[in-house]
This record gives sequence, structure tokens and C-alpha cells, in this order.
Amino acid sequence: MLSNVVTLEGMPGRMARSRRRPVADNAGDVRFNSPSLSDAADDFERHLRPLWERAQAGDEAAYREALQRMAGRLRAYLRRRMQSLPDDLEDLVQDTLLALHLQRGTYDPSLTVTAWMLAIARHKLVDLWRRRGRQEALHDPIDEVDEARLAATPAAEATQRDLRTLLCELPPAQRDAIVLTKIEGLSVAEASERTGASESAIKVQVHRGLKKLAELVRRA
Amino acid sequence: MKTDDLILMLARDAGPAPRAVAARRLLPGAALAVTASSVVAALLLGLIPTGLYLQFGPWFKLIYAGALSLAGGWLVARLGRPAAHVRAPLLAVAGVMAAAAVVGVLTWSMSAPPHRIPDLMGHSWTTCSLSVLVLSLPGLAAALWALRGMAPTRPVAAGAAAGLFGGSLGALGYALSCTELALPFVAVWYTLGVLLSTALGAALGPRLLRW
Repeated sequence: MLSNVVTLEGMPGRMARSRRRPVADNAGDVRFNSPSLSDAADDFERHLRPLWERAQAGDEAAYREALQRMAGRLRAYLRRRMQSLPDDLEDLVQDTLLALHLQRGTYDPSLTVTAWMLAIARHKLVDLWRRRGRQEALHDPIDEVDEARLAATPAAEATQRDLRTLLCELPPAQRDAIVLTKIEGLSVAEASERTGASESAIKVQVHRGLKKLAELVRRA
Repeated sequence: MKTDDLILMLARDAGPAPRAVAARRLLPGAALAVTASSVVAALLLGLIPTGLYLQFGPWFKLIYAGALSLAGGWLVARLGRPAAHVRAPLLAVAGVMAAAAVVGVLTWSMSAPPHRIPDLMGHSWTTCSLSVLVLSLPGLAAALWALRGMAPTRPVAAGAAAGLFGGSLGALGYALSCTELALPFVAVWYTLGVLLSTALGAALGPRLLRW
């Protein structure tokens, strides 16, 4: 399965060319080596990587921008693999973003951010197929389209379900912590004052709430 | 909620990413599990007399199980990370098992023919692997719990690694109570116990490691 993750990135026609241009931060890496990365993908990673590193260190603006770029890339990736489920596309983009956020501690700096992100997207896609009871295997499109060039794909589609509605189903403490700090934009200290919960409790509730939200999303 | 709004929401006040996720979840669980296996083994089976530690047999078990736990823990930590490479920890696991097998085969081939069957079967071959399997349960549970807090994208492999890790911790606990001293016995029956636990983990993985 690991090698599949790589071949998903692979654009057969481009392999020969990109083999001559290894990605700098992955040069010694045999398995996730650049044969699979096209020039555009290379470019995408080169822009994303520094943003992502700042985001991981706690830079909010960098994190926002990284997620925006990733959303475009995810949309291009998923659209080509969900042609029979177009209505679910934007929902799955959101599910994947939520998973990326919850799992950002599992990012391994020895890998490209793209490989990590697409492995999660693929996992979410397989999970969706499984829940829908589809038997069809995950077919990788074979036509030569460079997804990384489509990365700026705008979110044209509407979502089927609204995360706000699901947010209301969370336990009140978790919901309030998320709404106050993440939507109304209060600081943790302000939210703590407003609810009477300690600051660390607010942080825990936000994290648990987002995890619970990801669970609700899977059942929705 | 629009995707852009979700992104704003996720990024707002997100803080730095959690660090050392694997170690923080795996180490406390492993410490608890090895304590649990040792206590259960000591209570149910009793500890071996300290005099036995003058021989190599008990140390071989502890070294084998300890090395396998380290390699298995490394593998679990890798399989909890999407797209991470597993070749190095897999080689480490295979290397430890191969080393134990070599020691087992060498000592067996050097022992006098009348000792060969006893060296292989001991007096407890019927229970050894099963004891290791039972004692692996705390470690298996701890590893599965650790993986549930991570992002395993290969649930069968991740479950198997959790079983391997749990089995090695179980073997570590069982070594404190097992009076067998022949190395071929350890190489065969301890390994079988760990493999049983690995199979159990592989079966549980897809059920318990969904996210």
C-alpha cells in the first residue's frame, strides 16, 4: 500500500523527466523519491514546505495559507477519484482538512508534506468507499493530468452537510469552547473567563470537540 | 460551512503542532503493560529462582524480548504516521528474529543427540506460546490505544505491529516466570507466542483502527 501512495502521485509520462530533477529535501529518499513528483508537484511542495514548517511551529497565518493551498491540491486529487460521487467531493475535502489538523503531530519531516497529506486523503477516500459499501477498487486515473497544476481549483461545489449543524450536536462544553475560540475568535483567556472553565480545560475541550466532530462527520 | 471558513476555524489560535506524538502515547502504555505482564506472571506462575540467572537461558529471553520490543515499538511508531517508511524498523524486527533463530539452530546442532528433543520441547512447550499470548494482551491494548491517537493508514499492518510489540512485552514478562533454559526452546516457542499475538493484532487492526 505504501508504494500505492507514491504511484498515486506518479504521472507516467513525466517520470523520466523528473528523475533528473530530484526534490532537494528528499534527495536521499529512495521510496518517496522524485520520480513520482512532476515539476508542478515539485513547485507545489517547494511553496508548501516552508509554510508548513512555520505552521507546525505555531504560526497562524502560515497555517491558514498552508491549509488553503492544501485544500486546492486535495480538491484536485479527490475530484479525479470521485467522479462517480461528485456531490461528496467538498465534504471529503473538509473531512480531510479536519483530519490533517487533528493529525498534524504525525507529520514526519523526513517526508514531503504532499506525500503525508495525500496519504491521509487516500485513507479518507477509501474509508468513504468502504462506508458506502462500494466494492470497486480505488482506481487511479491513468489519463495524464497534472493535479499539481490544478491545485488552485476553487471550491465551486456546495457541501452536502453543514459542519455548523454537526457542531451543534457536540457536548455543550466542547461546542462552546470551539464556538468561542475558533469561530467568534476569543482568546483562550477570554473564553475561560466567559465560561468559567480553566484555560487548559478550554484547550482540551477544543481538541476533543474537533475529534468528536471528525467522528460525527464519518457517521453523517 | 464553507471550506474557507473551516480553514479559518482550524487555523485560528491553533498553536504549535503536538510533538513526539508516538513516544508520548507509546512509552507510558508500554511501561504500564510490561508492569502488568510481569505482575500477572509473578502472581499466577511465580518468579524463577534467582540462581537461574547465573545461566544464560533467562538472559537470552530477556535480551531477545527486549530487542524485539524496541524494534516493534519503532515499527508501531512508524505505522502510526501516514506515508512513513517502514523498511528500517521491519529490517530491525527481522534481524532480531533471525539472530534468535541462528542462536537456536547453532546451540541445537551443537547439543548431543540425546538432548536435542528436550532442548526443543522443554517441559512446557504446550503452554509457553499461549502464556506469551495471554501476557501480550496489556501491551497489545496499549499499542492499539497509542495508534488510535495517531493516523494509521494501513490498519492490518499497524495492528500486526501492535501485536508484535505487545507479544514482545508479554514475552519479557513471561521470561521472569519461565524455568526453561535451553536456547532452542526459546527461539521456537517464544517466537511462536509473539507471532500468535501479531496475528491477533492483525485481525483486530481493521476493526479498532478506523478514523
